[in-house]
Amino acid sequence: MAVEIVTDSLSDITPDFAKELGITTVPVYVRFGEEVFRDRIEMNTEQFYYRLVHDAAFPTTTQPSPGDFFDVFNKLAKKTDEVLVITLSSKLSGTYQSALQAKNMMEDRCRIEIIDSLQVIMGLGLIVIGAVEKARQGGTLDELADWVRWAMTRMHSAMFFDTLKYLAKGGRIGRAQSFLGSMLSVKPILTLKDGEVSPLTRVRSRAAGKDYLYNFVAGFPRIERLAVEHATTPGEASELIERLGAIYPKDKIYQSTVSPVIGTYVGPHVLSVSLLEAE
Amino acid sequence: MKQIRSIGGQELREMFAAATGWLEKSSAEIDALNVFPVPDGDTGTNMLLTMRSTIEEAYRAPDHSASAVAYAMAHGALMGARGNSGVILSQILRGLAQGFAEKESFTAADLASALQESSTMAYEGISNPVEGTMLTVIKDVAAAVQTERAGNGRDLIAAMETAVNAAGESVANTPKLLDVLREAGVVDAGGQGLHTILDGALRYLRGEMEQMRFRKPQIIVTDMHATKLPQMIAADEVPYGYCTEFLLKGEKLDAAKIRKKLEKKGESLIVVGDDFAARIHIHTLEPGDVIAYATGLGTLHQVSVRNMDEQHQDYLEMQKDRGPAVDTAIVTVVAGDGLADVFTSLGVTTIVPGGQTMNPSTKDLLQAVEEVASDKAIILPNNKNIVATANQVQSFTEKRIEVVPSKTVPQGVAALLAFDYEADLESNIQIMARAMAAVKTIEICRAVRSAKLGDLKIKKRQPIGFLDGDLVAVGESGLEVLNKMLSKLNLNKIEVITIYYGADTKSAEAEQVASDIRSQYPQLQIEVVRGGQPHYNYIISIE
Repeated sequence: MAVEIVTDSLSDITPDFAKELGITTVPVYVRFGEEVFRDRIEMNTEQFYYRLVHDAAFPTTTQPSPGDFFDVFNKLAKKTDEVLVITLSSKLSGTYQSALQAKNMMEDRCRIEIIDSLQVIMGLGLIVIGAVEKARQGGTLDELADWVRWAMTRMHSAMFFDTLKYLAKGGRIGRAQSFLGSMLSVKPILTLKDGEVSPLTRVRSRAAGKDYLYNFVAGFPRIERLAVEHATTPGEASELIERLGAIYPKDKIYQSTVSPVIGTYVGPHVLSVSLLEAE
Repeated sequence: MKQIRSIGGQELREMFAAATGWLEKSSAEIDALNVFPVPDGDTGTNMLLTMRSTIEEAYRAPDHSASAVAYAMAHGALMGARGNSGVILSQILRGLAQGFAEKESFTAADLASALQESSTMAYEGISNPVEGTMLTVIKDVAAAVQTERAGNGRDLIAAMETAVNAAGESVANTPKLLDVLREAGVVDAGGQGLHTILDGALRYLRGEMEQMRFRKPQIIVTDMHATKLPQMIAADEVPYGYCTEFLLKGEKLDAAKIRKKLEKKGESLIVVGDDFAARIHIHTLEPGDVIAYATGLGTLHQVSVRNMDEQHQDYLEMQKDRGPAVDTAIVTVVAGDGLADVFTSLGVTTIVPGGQTMNPSTKDLLQAVEEVASDKAIILPNNKNIVATANQVQSFTEKRIEVVPSKTVPQGVAALLAFDYEADLESNIQIMARAMAAVKTIEICRAVRSAKLGDLKIKKRQPIGFLDGDLVAVGESGLEVLNKMLSKLNLNKIEVITIYYGADTKSAEAEQVASDIRSQYPQLQIEVVRGGQPHYNYIISIE
């Protein structure tokens, strides 16, 4: 029996792609006032940004409940006895905790390994995709878990924000706090360090930001996997992919849009690159 | 004027249902008053959820007496209490229930004594009561209503008016009592929530249900401005250990005994409840001990244990990282208060005042680098006459000094912005130098004497323009000089123009210059910032 892989919707693996990969994504919840939506299932990126801009209520997000994971585990326990769960950074969400609680509720009905990836969006997504490949090659749960822990140390990302407003409002600004309060309008470039949002640098224009992302990727001589994603600017994402084609096969670059839950924290116009550095 | 002598259980319930609806309208704004993003956050939402549970239970009262409804409400509040504010609110409702015990209906006098009970219960529930919070507000409300009663008021509406007014004043006063509120420039969120609930109750008594549908509760503002950035103030309000919360159900529970037992186990202890159910909230280093003790007394429900140190750690990290980097200081030379603010807001460590015609000495710069905590420092001279001085500093100090030779203010800003937080010192010097080279600087000032330079004929007091330090243009007005210079630049690759206007230049004139450039080059992003620099009317950054 093959290892079943579970992640959350903040891996930015869309439901369709998840189906293709044969994995389960547990949705995080996004809430506008009294209305609650399951990330990517009951609300997609376009609908989300429309409401983010037009709604008076500022959205908030909620981790999946232990029950959500429990249901998934029960379902999977019927077809396998090994489950690998890879969650987004526990510094950003309680999703990891929910998964742990659900595991305790399962009481040895099947082996469940839960890994806090300390990553989010495609940084998490690329790890999950890699794990799926290892599973398809017949990897055991332990082998997969080892690979994931290795991949976590070689994952690099840079996210180019238009504004820090949403990140600050959502309480996820972490070490990028120091970028607040600038008297000039600047656009921050952030990364994830030890699972937390951390500053990389600041630029003054979108062109400079895109240059930075390109140079960031170019700074890694050996790249195993590469992903580019955006929130509301598909044109910019394709343009960046086109440029990155000079250093990495274009057709192998994963492209995605950030999910509504992520949108809550990053706001519109975000552009991001994630890469797994080869050995 | 409408007067009400007494009301029964049904109206009591309706009154609080109306108050809950009223609270709902401003719960988000009350959330926004929270000073810290700690697990007890979201005060407005927590109070609203507590009130909803209160009202739901109120409908389950065995009869319509004030006593039965009030008890049901207190029970509902206890069961549904969320966060610190919810717990205190449940204590207030419990006080009301005790005050209305065995009463079919209640009068202004009953309300006055019930509020006294509420105040007492609220303080009893908390092991370390802090003034300037909801506790103070309920205490002030109870005292005011008691005094009003001494004047023999018999009208419930008048009593409630007194309560609302007292609550309003008390809330407005909370920043005077609690430093963290004063520093953040907000009133206490829980106090505000209580005021909104009382206000909703008053509106119900006045029969204003219809108007309430179209209005919104008022949030009391403090006239004190934030004295510190909210993110800077967490230092002495230390969340610690695990925020442990649960509902204990059992028989013959003794809240006082439980409190005494748990007091030494941690901080922010709250034990409230009755013989059959107690809600316990504590910040403790040993949640296991607390839970083990409680399991011996009954069954545990709605257990929540959250690590508060993690959050506190984040706070410490944040504060440490407010400078550009933990281990590298950036020292810069700037003249003009506006420019100093710009550099500070971008995270520079130290500013040495100086610039054109007032170059700082090596000693001034040396002193600045010696004073910073880091043993590595980058100097941004921002003037070509200061670069050499800056280069001298290394030979006088043990610290590692690097000079990024910025010759103008825009070069300095560009270099500072490009600082890479993940890169080492060597790479940063390169990154900053590269960023510095990518910006063009225009400086415009008035000629101090007549001169002839190349083919430029300059009269005294005429505006002259420098491009990256070279005198290239002269004209009748600053705008004319600027236009001459811009027309010679290739603006296709340019995205942002920042105009820093000087101490002797009016902001209206600077805005005029900006709008002029905007109309000529609509694709550019133009920013106008008061630089306050001497001599130069305009320093313009072109990126």
